[in-house]
Amino acid sequence: MNKALRSPLVFILFVIPALVLFLMFFIYPIFSSLYYSLTSWNGVSETVKYTGFDNYTKALGDERFWVSVKNNGCFILFSVFIQVPLIVFFSLLIANVKKLKGLYKTAVFMPSIMSTAVIGILWGFIYEPNIGLFNNILGLFGIEPVYWLSDERFAMLSILITNAWQWTGFYIVMVLAAILAIPRELEEAAAIDGATGFQRATRITLPLIVPIISVVIMLSIAGAMKAADIVIVMTKGGPAGSTEVMATYMIKYAITNFKYGYGNTIAVLIFVFTLVVTVLYQLLFARRSERIEY
Amino acid sequence: MKKSLVLLLSLIAVTSGLLAGCGGNNNNEGNNAAAGTNAPNNTAATNAPATEEPASAEPFEMTIRHTQVGADKQKRLAILQDVVNKVQEEVPGLTFKLDGVDSDVNRKEKLRGEMAAGNPPEVFDLFGSPDSKIYAKEGKLLDLTPILEELGIMDKFSNLDPFTYEGKIYGLPIGGSGEGFFYNKEYYASKGWSAPATFADLEKQLADIKADGKVPLAGASKAGWVPLMLANHLWSRYAGPDVTAKFATGEAKWSDPNVVKGFAKYREWVDNGYFKKGELGFEYAEYTTQFTSGEAILMYDGTWKSSVFKEGQSGEGLIGKVGFFNIPPVDGGVGDQTALMRDVNNGYGFSATAGEDERQLAAVKSFIKNMYNEEMQLRGLVEDGVLPAMKLDQSVLDANITDDLMKEIVAVLNSSASSFPAFDSLVQADVTTEISNIQIQKLIGGQTTPEKMGEALQKVQEEANAAVE
Repeated sequence: MNKALRSPLVFILFVIPALVLFLMFFIYPIFSSLYYSLTSWNGVSETVKYTGFDNYTKALGDERFWVSVKNNGCFILFSVFIQVPLIVFFSLLIANVKKLKGLYKTAVFMPSIMSTAVIGILWGFIYEPNIGLFNNILGLFGIEPVYWLSDERFAMLSILITNAWQWTGFYIVMVLAAILAIPRELEEAAAIDGATGFQRATRITLPLIVPIISVVIMLSIAGAMKAADIVIVMTKGGPAGSTEVMATYMIKYAITNFKYGYGNTIAVLIFVFTLVVTVLYQLLFARRSERIEY
Repeated sequence: MKKSLVLLLSLIAVTSGLLAGCGGNNNNEGNNAAAGTNAPNNTAATNAPATEEPASAEPFEMTIRHTQVGADKQKRLAILQDVVNKVQEEVPGLTFKLDGVDSDVNRKEKLRGEMAAGNPPEVFDLFGSPDSKIYAKEGKLLDLTPILEELGIMDKFSNLDPFTYEGKIYGLPIGGSGEGFFYNKEYYASKGWSAPATFADLEKQLADIKADGKVPLAGASKAGWVPLMLANHLWSRYAGPDVTAKFATGEAKWSDPNVVKGFAKYREWVDNGYFKKGELGFEYAEYTTQFTSGEAILMYDGTWKSSVFKEGQSGEGLIGKVGFFNIPPVDGGVGDQTALMRDVNNGYGFSATAGEDERQLAAVKSFIKNMYNEEMQLRGLVEDGVLPAMKLDQSVLDANITDDLMKEIVAVLNSSASSFPAFDSLVQADVTTEISNIQIQKLIGGQTTPEKMGEALQKVQEEANAAVE
């Protein structure tokens, strides 16, 4: 067996299937997208006209495209500065409950296995201006109804809250697994030394789960950059394009209009922007928190 | 250990089952593909002077992509199913596979992907303009002109323009529609009103309904096309029914004062609170609900909506209590002031590859013969509220329409001297995107003025016109 694996030919034979799949489903689509992004292909025609960087110039010069980039930025900021602290907070709480831990874990995980369409309908009711839960609560304090999804001041926020609700549980389960993997001796030793629950959480647990938090942030950033379904379900990018994100911009301004060349340009730009943001995050923050030594 | 092994084996068994299930489909397709590839040989054989039936009776499958999905479209689906049964009886060996997909998903994603990949279904739901023209230009659609001539129904259709490219017909509309106001007759009767004869009457009624604490007009503008139905009719009243067709040729501009008057009127109605507040967040389904629940007294919509006011449908409670009228003439309006917005933009198209296989071609002919005839058109009208796409004798119509609402709709259609299609079949896709997704919502949200809206649209229109040149 060992002898066989030492032979380069056998080694290559083992690698080839994975390599072929990787080339077919990852490398080829990227290059195909790059190629079509330089054309004015309509998605149907067999003839493809090369247009150079016209599509890129058009996209980067389009005010609406930058609105969508800004909205993707909102997704990232909301994830990193609001969602992640909440994830850590709830993970710490659930890790320390004595009873019904399984129930809590299941309850928080539930939204992440629900379809986005269902979540859209569910939250559509919550945001409903006349009978919705939020406005009913606000009404108790004499506050006028808020038009959550139809007022552009609140539409983006409403989507961000819904998106956070959908994915927080998924990340909580990840962080919880990391917390529960911390050797109990560490906490017990700290408790014997007289550390309070808060001190143990902030001085022992938190530093030890930094790597998983870093992964959660990475996944949130990647998820935020490709967000589309929740926007389509909740606002369709409206009102008046105010909640458009890059992926919905691509669908609306390119794919729907038989402009597949332009659509590929947007796809490439999404890829590049995501790459830049994640690489920057890796270089600036993630590398520093990769290793933990007990 | 044993438990894990059992679990693992169960998982493998389930996965194998699933894969086998998927594989089964592929095998079928494979067989069908094989049948398809054999078909030319068979047809070659049957092309011989003495055509032998048994050879062509070998089983083969064709797919029909339809959009009759959901409770509201069950009647339309039943009509299709009946046609399918008839065609299967007429064409030996044929089995139709029905593939139901949401209309928007089919139009904007699935069919386009299949067209690009070169494997669309043999029969599919198709939009006339601009879709059919783009596909026809690329040779993806079957030219139906010779089939229509052979069947003798070439001149039976009211309008085939949306499906015509370079003089050839590439699709057939399943039905037509007209747009106007549905109104709550019970409420109108309680006020002693009748359908407004003048625009001033209409505006007076809207103001009175508002003062009465009711919502005058149903509103749901999450999707831009919904408010644009009314806006389109308004600008066509002020600037003329043919104005929209002139945007793409440069003969008219979106910023023309009369077009802007239409936008301004819409904005005025929004400002007066005639639509339900928060409409930008409501889906189209909510539009109907506002009317059927009695919350809104009027609803501007297409004649297809009449099917809702039938037994077992969501508007059952309003049977016999709903009327229909056209927008009255506006003061100083250009052109025919009775013009009605009408469309025949949705129907069936057929893959060009179906024309290469004689048996598939026979199935297409049979499908057209059985779907596009007086009986099916009348069923569409009576059962589903879809206006006929084919010319029918007035006496036949009178004899078959028993529904009061449908009678009113037909009376409105007959009283309008001309018609015009909706803007999205006349202007380029970029302009449609701009007005549907941005400008109309900005107008409703108070983020733009009618004048600025006209200018913004004209800018996009000019870019689109230049791109065509």
